[in-house]
Amino acid sequence: CKLVLSAAVKRRVLLTLPMMWLSLGWCVFFVLFWGLFVFSDDSLEPHFTECISRDQETFRCWWSPGSFHNLSSPGALKVFYLRKVSPVSEWKECPEYIHSKRECFFDVNYTSVWVPYCIQLRGQNNITFDDACFTVENIVRPDPPVSLNWTLLNISPSGLSYDVMVNWEPPPTADVEAGWMRIVYEIQYRERNSTYWEALEVQPHTQKTIYGLHIGKEYEVHIRSRMQAFSKFGEFSDPIFIHVTELYSEETTFPLTFILVFGTLGILILLMLILIFQQQRFMMILLPPVPAPKIKGIDAELLKKGKLDELNLILSGGIGGLHTYAPDFYPDEPWVEFIEVDPEDSAAGEKEDHQGSDTQRLLGLPPPVSLNHHLNIGCSSTISFPDDDSGRASCYGPDVPNQDTLILMAALLPGQAEEEEATLDEVERAPSPEGGESHFVQSQTAGSHTWVNTDFYAQVSNVMPSGGVVLSPGQQLRIQESTLSAEKEMQRKGKEIGACEETGEKKQKGLQFQLLVVDPEGGSYTTESTARQISAAPNSPTPSEGYQTIPPQPADAKPAATAEDNQSPYILPDSPQAPFFAPVGDYTVVQEVDSQHSLLLNPPPNLSPHPCMPQQPLKALPATPVAYVTPDLLGNLSP
Amino acid sequence: MVSDSSLNHRLTLLFLVLVCLVFCRNLTSIGAAPICTNAQTGCQALSLANLFDRVIQHSARMHGISNDLHSEFEQYFLPSKNQIGRVSRNCHTSTILTPNGKENAQRMAREELTEVILKLLMAWRDPLWRFHQGMAHNHDFNNFSSNKALEMSDMVHELRKGVEKVADKMQMLGIISNSVSSQVSPEALLPSDSAEWHLMRDYDLLYCFRRDSNKVQNYLKILKCRIVPEHGC
Repeated sequence: CKLVLSAAVKRRVLLTLPMMWLSLGWCVFFVLFWGLFVFSDDSLEPHFTECISRDQETFRCWWSPGSFHNLSSPGALKVFYLRKVSPVSEWKECPEYIHSKRECFFDVNYTSVWVPYCIQLRGQNNITFDDACFTVENIVRPDPPVSLNWTLLNISPSGLSYDVMVNWEPPPTADVEAGWMRIVYEIQYRERNSTYWEALEVQPHTQKTIYGLHIGKEYEVHIRSRMQAFSKFGEFSDPIFIHVTELYSEETTFPLTFILVFGTLGILILLMLILIFQQQRFMMILLPPVPAPKIKGIDAELLKKGKLDELNLILSGGIGGLHTYAPDFYPDEPWVEFIEVDPEDSAAGEKEDHQGSDTQRLLGLPPPVSLNHHLNIGCSSTISFPDDDSGRASCYGPDVPNQDTLILMAALLPGQAEEEEATLDEVERAPSPEGGESHFVQSQTAGSHTWVNTDFYAQVSNVMPSGGVVLSPGQQLRIQESTLSAEKEMQRKGKEIGACEETGEKKQKGLQFQLLVVDPEGGSYTTESTARQISAAPNSPTPSEGYQTIPPQPADAKPAATAEDNQSPYILPDSPQAPFFAPVGDYTVVQEVDSQHSLLLNPPPNLSPHPCMPQQPLKALPATPVAYVTPDLLGNLSP
Repeated sequence: MVSDSSLNHRLTLLFLVLVCLVFCRNLTSIGAAPICTNAQTGCQALSLANLFDRVIQHSARMHGISNDLHSEFEQYFLPSKNQIGRVSRNCHTSTILTPNGKENAQRMAREELTEVILKLLMAWRDPLWRFHQGMAHNHDFNNFSSNKALEMSDMVHELRKGVEKVADKMQMLGIISNSVSSQVSPEALLPSDSAEWHLMRDYDLLYCFRRDSNKVQNYLKILKCRIVPEHGC
């Protein structure tokens, strides 16, 4: 039974044990919890919460009654302080209570810095609930700064971030001006919807730059302060908000540069296109073509390559050319004389020298056939004087018909194309030379003027003021021939000529047969009558004289037909004067230049001495040039 | 070839001469004209405001170091809320009468204030030196604390000299009347005994020094803002 009973009991005990344990556990737990609660409530005595000085001149202390609610009424708890200013110190009660805040305020009179303070919280019956000791400088927590504001410093070039300068004023309660408090500031900022504050370094200045804020986001900034070299911060200031929108990111710096770049590129492309397409025009402007010699109807290439025959053809008008040239040369100047050339004759005998025929035509003499031949032969073989000029090429090369030469000469007169044409026309319109004196000649001149027998090349003796060119006589032979013809002409005309002299003179004249340019106005020309006078007066020919410049002399009224016209620029070769015309070559070599700037030319080779040519030496200087006379020499020569 | 090398030599020589002139001028200016308060011959005089700024910066740094050391010492000695026992211990400089408030400090004459500063600084020269010696020998503290202690003692020494210069300058300018004397009171000397006493004393010493360095800083600032309130006040 006992055994059975014990087993049952055991079983029960075993069953109930955990229950017991559980309940025990619960009880303990409950007791402990409650006890803790009670304990906590009870253990929470009245105590000081904090003592703070804001300006290091006053300070405050706050207490809490704790769990002793019956002591929460004002006056239940008292604060006593001890100021250890002297070895003997006593506890005094709080000078100023602020019961609403449970605060004890110590004003300036009761505050001493660097002096240890001890405070006690006492209840009834001098029960000390709490005490604390401190020095005032250690409990200083300055007020937060005031007047916070921010200014935008700059925006990054990308336009995504910016810098801001935050300014503030020190707390008004802290006497910073007197140097009593040296405050350092800590600035903190965060994004609007963030919880983490970014703290910047503590520094004593009243401004701070915040870098790297993002555009579009709103920021919150607040500042707190503390004493230098101490650790207790004051409260945070009221926050300010910084927000920069994307106004500046679309500023026109970026698009402006874009526009400028594209604009310049477009302008450059346009200029290039203009240059390319208007290249020729630009080339014309920049590099104008050099004017080439242009003769109407003549290809400049002909002149270049020396195709003279073709040129002559063109000029003569044989094959559709310049047939309108020469006659139109000098319509207004009657003394301009052109040799008429028969186009048929020239066409017939291109290679022949028509010198004689021209002269005959001019003088009205029948064309000497023999002359032609003679001339031809003479041209080739009877050149007695040394031919050292290139002007003789016409003799060796293909002969050019005189007419063509004349026309060419006429054509090559400078300046007036129309006059050229006119001249040529006049030449062509001349009647046949068989008719004796050409009326052209007569009408043109008062006397018998002869056109100088010219070769294809002729020497230009002078240039007329009108622009015409006066040419020198041709070759020696031709001169001779022309002399003969001139003699005949003179005979025909029946001028008063001395027998031997005249012939001689004629011959001389013919020989010399230079063109004496007579200018009625100028000093280098003289009238025919004047020339006659000149020639008649000295009566001493100077064979070496080529040209002479004779000063103008009063035109005496001579019965000669030439007297009428004082403007004859030519001295008649048949007139008795000008015995002193020495034969002159087409081209002569310049020997030297005189001191008076006169050219000394080679004298032409000796002509066949004329029977009647007086062998008088030159009245002038022995070194007188053959073909040119200087003005002072002229004085010797003149009568 | 020879001409090139000689040219190079000449150029380098010229360059050296120029460099020397530039720098030697600076050196000579520094050496020949040290900074002094009075504009004597060969002296480069600083303004009073500049002197004050230098001294105040110095004192601020000194106070910072003392604060750091004090915080470091607190790790070894748990601060109890009840600090009455420690409060009762007097600092050796308590005998020096110092103004305890702003108004007191402002009311005090400039000469007196300057004298107080000098006295304080003078009083701390030896104790700090001994403190450093004790720290160096005691292996409880690391080298960092030891170096700080040494720096602190040096700074006190330098600061005292600086303040003396300021006082001289002020006398020269006529701001203060008579010369200031900084005599050490015999009570300033601390007794030295056992190691524990040393340790306790060191902590108190640091505590006291921290307070006194703050005093010095404050007084200097007040003086400056009273005499030369240009900028920084």
